[in-house]
Amino acid sequence: MSDIPFKNPGWAGNTGEFDLTEEQVRGDDFVGVRPKHGGHASGAGTLPYMHADKHPDAKLFEGEYGERFDKILTRYPTKQAALLPALGLAQEIRGHVSPEAMDRVAELLDLSPAYVRGVATFYTMYNKRPVGRHLVQVCTNISCNLAGADEVVAAFLRYTDTEIGETSEDGNFTVIEAECLAACGFPTCVQINSRYFENVTPTEVPKICEHLKAQGE
Amino acid sequence: MAYPYVSEHEVRILSKYFGDPKQRHLDTYVERGGYSALKKGFDSGSAEVIETVKASGLRGRGGAGFPTGLKWSFMPKDTGKPHYLLCNADESEPGTFKDRELMRWDPHQLIEGCLIGAFAIQAQHVYIYCRGEFFETNQVLARAVEDAYAKGYIGKDILGSGNDIDVTVHQGAGAYICGEETGLMNSLEGRRGQPRVKPPFPAAVGAFGMPSTINNVETLSIIPHIIQNGGAWYRQYGTEKSPGTKLFCVSGHVNKPGNYELPLGFPLMKLIDEVCGGVRDGNALKAVIPGGSSVPIITAEEAGRCNLDYEGCVEVGTMLGCASVIVMDEHADIVKQVRRMVDFYAHESCGQCTPCREGSSWTAQILRRIEDGRGTEGDLDTLMEMTQQMVGTTICVLSDSVAAPVQSSIEKFRDEYLALIRRGERVGAA
Ligand SMILES: Cc1cc2nc3c(=O)[nH]c(=O)nc-3n(C[C@H](O)[C@H](O)[C@H](O)COP(=O)(O)O)c2cc1C
Ligand code: SF4
Ligand code: FES
Repeated sequence: MSDIPFKNPGWAGNTGEFDLTEEQVRGDDFVGVRPKHGGHASGAGTLPYMHADKHPDAKLFEGEYGERFDKILTRYPTKQAALLPALGLAQEIRGHVSPEAMDRVAELLDLSPAYVRGVATFYTMYNKRPVGRHLVQVCTNISCNLAGADEVVAAFLRYTDTEIGETSEDGNFTVIEAECLAACGFPTCVQINSRYFENVTPTEVPKICEHLKAQGE
Repeated sequence: MAYPYVSEHEVRILSKYFGDPKQRHLDTYVERGGYSALKKGFDSGSAEVIETVKASGLRGRGGAGFPTGLKWSFMPKDTGKPHYLLCNADESEPGTFKDRELMRWDPHQLIEGCLIGAFAIQAQHVYIYCRGEFFETNQVLARAVEDAYAKGYIGKDILGSGNDIDVTVHQGAGAYICGEETGLMNSLEGRRGQPRVKPPFPAAVGAFGMPSTINNVETLSIIPHIIQNGGAWYRQYGTEKSPGTKLFCVSGHVNKPGNYELPLGFPLMKLIDEVCGGVRDGNALKAVIPGGSSVPIITAEEAGRCNLDYEGCVEVGTMLGCASVIVMDEHADIVKQVRRMVDFYAHESCGQCTPCREGSSWTAQILRRIEDGRGTEGDLDTLMEMTQQMVGTTICVLSDSVAAPVQSSIEKFRDEYLALIRRGERVGAA
C-alpha cells in the first residue's frame, strides 16, 4: 500500500477526453448508428495528435494533462496501478508511446524503465511507433469476417495506397487489422482513433476517408 | 433512434431501455424506479441480499455460468481488510457484444448492481474494468459515475445508510486475456495481464492482494431487478437449472443480427428463424457456434436439437459460454474461419504456458498450410493430437479454447479439410 490518499477516487477522469460535449455523450448522436456524414469529432485527429508536432520538447504531462495525471493517481491504492492509465494519457498527447515517454512515465511512478517497457509492450493499444493521424483498425475476426471484412481492409488499403501497418505518404492513415471489437452484430466494425464505425461496406470506404481527411486539416 | 432489433419473443428486463438515450440521465433513471433496489438492499442487510441472489439461481454471465450468490458467499466476512468488487467489462470474446450495449444504454443499471454487489461482499471499492477500445462507452459510464457521486448514490454514507462505496471506471489497454479474472487483477495493478495460478482464489487473495470478487457486466446489471422483485420472480423465466433471461448476441449469416433478451432454454432454431428473420438470403444453415469463439462448433442437425441454456448446449456437445451465437450458412468457409479464430488465440496468448504459446501458433501455421492447399491428411491427426495436449495443461483455459473449434470442426467438417487437402479447393466463399 502506498501513501496515496483516497481523494474522491471514483471520479473517472475520462470525462472530457477527446472533447465530447454533454450533448454528444448523453444524446444519441454517436450511439447505435453511424452519423450520416460518416464521422464524429472524437474520431478525428484532434488535439492529441497535433500536439506532439507543435511542441516537441514539452513536459510529458503539463497543464490539463498534469491535472488529469494527478487525478489518476488518486484512484488506486498503489502508484503502480496508475501505469496503464498514465501510458494511455501519454499516448493521447503524443499519438504513440515512445521509449522516451515510457521512461518518463517510469520516473513519475517510481518504476524501473525495463518494467514499464515490459508492460507497455504487452498491450496492443499502445502504439510503439508513430501512426497516421487516423489509425484505422478493421476487425477481421469471425463475425466481421463472415460479412466480408477482408474486402473492407482491401478497400482501405487501396484508398490509402498503403500496406498493412504502413503510414500513408500524407501522414493521414495507418490501416491495421484488429481483433473482435465487440460490435459483431454490426459488421464490419472499424475503429478509427477512438471512434467505432459500424456496418462499414467497401463502397463506403472512400467517403469515410475523405471525411476524415477534411477533419484532420 | 430506436434500438434497431426487437422481437415479440423477447422478455426485456435488462434491455428494456436499449435505444432510449434518456435512460443515461440519472434523473430519468431514478424516475423510472432506479436506485430503489439499492435502498431495499441496504435495508435488508448483506446476508439477505446474498440469500435473494442465491434463491434466484442467477448464474454468472461471463462464460462459466457459476452461481453468483454462491460466489458472493465465498467472500470472507469482517476481515478488517479492504475488499474489492471487480466488474469485468473487458468484453472481447469474438462474437460477444452485449456488455457494451448494457453500459452505453443503461450505465446506471450497472452502477446500481455494482453497489448492491459491493454491499453484499463488504467491498468499499468497485473497479469497473472497461475494455480500452470502448472510448465512448467509457465516457458514458464515467459521466454516469460522476452524476451518481454528485447525487450521493456513490461515495460516503450512501443514501444515509452509513455505507461508503467508491466506484472507479478503469480503462484497459487492449488484451483479450485481461478478461480472465486473475489476468484482469494483474492488469488493474499495473502489470502485464497474465493470469495467476489458482489457488489462492480471488476471494482470499485478489486485487491488490485483498479479498475480491469478479463479475461480468450482465451479471451485475440484473442484480437490481432481482433484489427489487425477489428470487422467485426471476425464476419464472428460463429453466429449472438455468433460470432467468439472457442477452443473446447473434451475428454472422442471419437477416437480423443483434442483441435479443430471451428466457434461457429458448430453442436455437427458433432464435435463428423467428427472432433473427432466418439465414441470410434463404440459404441453408451449415454450422453454428452458440457461445462465442471458445466453444465447439455444431452442425445444422445438432442446432435443430439445441436449446439455449447451460445444460441444453452441453447435451449437443457444446457450451453456452456467453451466448454469442455465430451463424454460418452454406457458403461459409469453415477452415478459414477456424484458422482466423486460432490466429486470434495465438495473438492473445499471454505466453506463460508452453502448450498454449507454442500450440496456438503451430496450430495456426498448420491450418494456414491446409488453407493454402499444401496440407496432408496427416496434418489433421497432428492437429487433433496437438490440441488434445493443450487441454487442461495450462494456467488458464485460453488454451482449451483453441482446441474447441479445431477439434469440433475436424470431427464434423472433415470433408471440407479433405477437399482442401486433396484438390486444393475451397468449399465456401467467405
Ligand atoms: C481467456 C478468458 C477470457 C475471458 N474474458 C472474459 C470477458 O471478456 N468478460 C467476462 O465477463 N468474462 C471473461 N472471462 C471469464 C472470467 O474469467 C470470469 O469467469 C467472469 O468474469 C466471472 O464473472 P461471472 O461470474 O459474472 O460470470 C474470461 C475467461 C477466460 C479464461
Ligand atoms: S493458457 Fe495461455 S493465456 Fe492462459 S496463462 Fe497460459 S499462456 Fe497465458
Ligand atoms: S467479430 Fe468484428 S466486432 Fe466482433
